[in-house]
Amino acid sequence: MNDFLNQIRLVGDWLTSSKQWHGDDGIPHRLLEHLTYSGLSLLFAAVIGLTLGLLVGHTGRGAFAVASVANLARAVPTFGLVVLVVTLAGLSTTPVLVALVALAVPPILINTFEGVRGVDPATRDAARGVGMTEWEVLARVEVPMALPLILLGLRVAAIQVVATATVAAYPGLGGLGRFIVDGLSRNDYELVIGGSTVVVVLALVVQVAFTALRRAVVSPGLRVSPSKS
Amino acid sequence: MIRFDAVSKNYPNGTTAVDELSLELAEGGLTVLVGPSGCGKTTTLRMVNRMVEPTAGTVSLRGQDIREVNAPELRRGIGYVIQHAGLFPHRTILDNIATVPLLLGWSRKKARARAAELLELVGLPSEMAKRYPNQLSGGQQQRVGVARALGADPPVLLMDEPFSAVDPIVRAELQAEFIRLQKELHKTIVFVTHDIDEAIKLGDKIAVFRTGGKLAQFDTPERLLADPADDFVADFVGHDRGIRRLSFVNAADVPLRDGPVLAATSPVASARTGDEPWVLVVDDGRRPLGWAAVADLPESGTLADVPLAPLGHTFSLVGDSARAALDSALLSPARLAVGVDAHGAVVGVADAHELSAGTGGTADATRADGGKR
Repeated sequence: MNDFLNQIRLVGDWLTSSKQWHGDDGIPHRLLEHLTYSGLSLLFAAVIGLTLGLLVGHTGRGAFAVASVANLARAVPTFGLVVLVVTLAGLSTTPVLVALVALAVPPILINTFEGVRGVDPATRDAARGVGMTEWEVLARVEVPMALPLILLGLRVAAIQVVATATVAAYPGLGGLGRFIVDGLSRNDYELVIGGSTVVVVLALVVQVAFTALRRAVVSPGLRVSPSKS
Repeated sequence: MIRFDAVSKNYPNGTTAVDELSLELAEGGLTVLVGPSGCGKTTTLRMVNRMVEPTAGTVSLRGQDIREVNAPELRRGIGYVIQHAGLFPHRTILDNIATVPLLLGWSRKKARARAAELLELVGLPSEMAKRYPNQLSGGQQQRVGVARALGADPPVLLMDEPFSAVDPIVRAELQAEFIRLQKELHKTIVFVTHDIDEAIKLGDKIAVFRTGGKLAQFDTPERLLADPADDFVADFVGHDRGIRRLSFVNAADVPLRDGPVLAATSPVASARTGDEPWVLVVDDGRRPLGWAAVADLPESGTLADVPLAPLGHTFSLVGDSARAALDSALLSPARLAVGVDAHGAVVGVADAHELSAGTGGTADATRADGGKR
């Protein structure tokens, strides 16, 4: 018990010591690296996942392919992918990004697809029947109605990416993983736990941000529980 | 006016939804397409706004082949109401109703003002404007569905089983309001239902379809009940069509006699002169007071001193149908219907036999049913 409290105190010291907040090895710089990798990966993954998910969900064509590819991609270990891509492409930012994008696409793709496909056929029929073009059906009805699931997919992807971006440290690319990798190799557990704590806090911040986003953009009509007036 | 010219719809799997349909629907009229499930009535309706494309033949709207108009543009000019309303759950009631005006590029302000007007027209309170569809009952949602269809004031409305998903009481309410609305708006309406009662209640003309997408009969409700084209139609309109037909016979055409009608001042003896078992006692303005059973009358005095059996209810020669007259006969203790004029004065009475003989309704039904059994 004392040991545990001691650890917490040590990590606290580590987190608050001024050297952690300056320079290339400081938390702000590593955090920025981490956010850059995560943000870029998420952006690419969103472009791919949303486009495909909306397209397949709207047309209904290629639904089986989407499910298969997404499941296959989910089965590929991220760490293995990083090693593979580094081996093939050399040490650079690309392998890390590719691995993270590969990790983030499946939840975005599947949830977007399910969200759009799950729109009540009667509602879609009404949308076409009142004279919406296919594009309007998608933009004005399917996307707003699928938004809760689309945001869920983005959130799951974002948290996974933020947590997994620590692998960037292995090929020597920095990010918050640096603390953990260095700490492990030096048997410096303050460093490991301190670095992990920052990652955990970051994941929580992402979670909270998405909850706020959901509140802001999802129509109350999709949230209110059915009740007779 | 909507015209179907040898229109067929065949699916690649070999089923025929609509088979060589030729039909002309009058401008400003309410045409009901009715038939059992799988008869192609909904497919026929959906061919009008190109939700379904025919495999053969042409559909034209006011003389123009609808294939010449781009589908979304065509649909914006045609109101569309479906069974479960199909409202957009993420939009407020007001924005649901404003859908088509907004698609047509109206300003948000103008579209919402129009929507508020329509909300009132379909009988919903303005507080509902800001609510969302899942906060409304089924009947209220259906009203919003009708309001949305009227958004851009289209001349044509397509309604696909709009009242089927609500309970019978709400349905009757919606039907009554819909009739009132149509009297005001005079839209050209195509209305699909599987319910022949609804068809007869609402339709100016009824197209009865049989399974396989064939038109069995296209006629007014009166003609459909009086003269079904074949056994399928007779069966579909039901064995009680004779009685239902009376709804279309004016009560003024019912033959009445005034033999058993006596003033309260008449002596009791005058009631015994006829061979009627009951006499109707009226006051000096010929307003009905009640029935007197001749067998129970005292020896002397006037009819004013006699205890009277209650009247039941009368029917009016102005406005009521022969069906109300029949109802009046069946509910009266004397089994006689009492017909009154606009001032409530008795014109005469008739029993159920005289009513049916006079209008030809039940006799006709008996013949048709007898022929089938």
